[in-house]
Amino acid sequence: MNKRILHILVVAQLVVVALGILFPIVWMVMSSLKSSADVTAYPPSFLFKPTLENYTHLLETTPFFAYARNSLIESGASTILGLALGIPAAYAASVTRSSWPALVTLSARMAPGTLFLVPWYVVFKALGLVGTYAALILTQAAITLPIVIWVLLPAFDAIPRSILEAALVDGCGVLRSLWRVALPLVSSGLVIATILGFVFSWNYFLFALVLSDEGTKPLVVAAFNYIGEGSTDWGGLMAAATLIALPPLVLAIAVQRWLVAGLTLGAVKG
Amino acid sequence: MSLSASSRQRGAIALLSLPAVFFTALMVVFPVGYTIWLSFRSAPLGHATQFAGLANYAQLFHSGSFWNSIEVSLALYLLSLALQLIAGTYLALLLFHARRMPAILRSILISPFMVPPVVVGMMFLVILDPSLGAANWILSLFGLPPSAWLASPQWVIPTIALIDTWQWTPFVALIVLGGLQSLPPSVYEAAKIDGAPAHLVFWRITLPLLLPTLMTAAILRSVDLLRFFDIIYVTTQGGPLDASDTLNVLGFHIGFELFQFGYASALAVTLTAMVFGVVLSLNRLRKAVAW
Repeated sequence: MNKRILHILVVAQLVVVALGILFPIVWMVMSSLKSSADVTAYPPSFLFKPTLENYTHLLETTPFFAYARNSLIESGASTILGLALGIPAAYAASVTRSSWPALVTLSARMAPGTLFLVPWYVVFKALGLVGTYAALILTQAAITLPIVIWVLLPAFDAIPRSILEAALVDGCGVLRSLWRVALPLVSSGLVIATILGFVFSWNYFLFALVLSDEGTKPLVVAAFNYIGEGSTDWGGLMAAATLIALPPLVLAIAVQRWLVAGLTLGAVKG
Repeated sequence: MSLSASSRQRGAIALLSLPAVFFTALMVVFPVGYTIWLSFRSAPLGHATQFAGLANYAQLFHSGSFWNSIEVSLALYLLSLALQLIAGTYLALLLFHARRMPAILRSILISPFMVPPVVVGMMFLVILDPSLGAANWILSLFGLPPSAWLASPQWVIPTIALIDTWQWTPFVALIVLGGLQSLPPSVYEAAKIDGAPAHLVFWRITLPLLLPTLMTAAILRSVDLLRFFDIIYVTTQGGPLDASDTLNVLGFHIGFELFQFGYASALAVTLTAMVFGVVLSLNRLRKAVAW
């Protein structure tokens, strides 16, 4: 009996905390569905007639889809680049039990972005690359590469050594043993590395703030423009916010079970 | 190396990390070297740089805005870290005692730190609006006076700390939960047999055993908190006046609004030294409390 009451108390507290975590996100979506009169009503209205006018207005009056395409190109390509560099590096680090490649890339993640930005800006400017996809993809890969290694290194480490050894002794070649034997065994880690790389690249603001121009601006940087106009148009601002947050949220929730395991495994090992 | 692969294979395996090493050298190591070099040079935009010795650092350490930023960054860092570790441990204990984590709960927990920080800034701009925001309405329900939140010089740092705590507490909680689940159950059973009260078990057994995990969480959060940028840039831009002007926001202003590259580099190097100093000390502490 005592135990049951305790359990109910725990669950009740969890429900309150979960509602607190949800509130800002729900409020954002609700505000995006309100008419301009409802969104600035005080006290705030909970019962209102939902409308999509903020979304249609946003998509009709601003090049939202062009920014979304930029985000997709930059996050997608930098994730592919991060995977192409990170998979062999994590595999090699795991097989040879050497930790320094992982250490170097992870300490790169610790440094503040302003440490790299000035040289990047100077060099890309000299090469005429400021405002190009190339510059944005290369710099965003500095975000995705450490994430790929962070997630995949413990995944490779979890493969029994005898399996890796057998593959190498069979003489199937190093690249083949990675591709045919090791990689299929870390497939869930691979999905997590891909999704986390994409999400963190999609969300990263500072590099694109400096290195993009009007034609290559990703959504998070374009969002900054919407804030200027947002002081008069909360509904439009929240519609933009909702659409920008949607891809990372959907991707993360689709793989939530693996994602939590992948994140905490890296942390516990780190 | 533990594998009995041939030396030719060993060489081939080592080669696999070459692309990543090359990329890191080009995109990270070279820029860091360049920034350190620039920090010793005067570099006005469009002119050749000149050796300036420690002039940039001297200017930095004599600048009032630099010391203000140190104060702002440290206040934001310590307040946020404390809030997130306490709230994260509380949430982790709840999750641990609930035993089951339904998919809906796990989805709710990961949502905040999957939302782009820029979007977090946008949603809280609306919620915390001093005149029409939902936050002040909620305060009024409890009979509390309204707050100016981000517009108040005194409250802007606690407000940003609360926003970041909202975003990252679930992440801390999931890491602490991992730590809780890896604690040896035998210790608890011994305590139970001895009839130790619950609060004593927590303070004397659970918490000391959790310290290494808490240190890991603290290190991960420190790295992000000390270079705080996105949410401040989209909400206050360092204001009101300079009340939320963190080191990274100041550095961005000097580098990419004033284009004083040498000076900005000196600041970036100083900030990086701070981050590494904190991380290395916390890592030492983590090893000291390991069991």
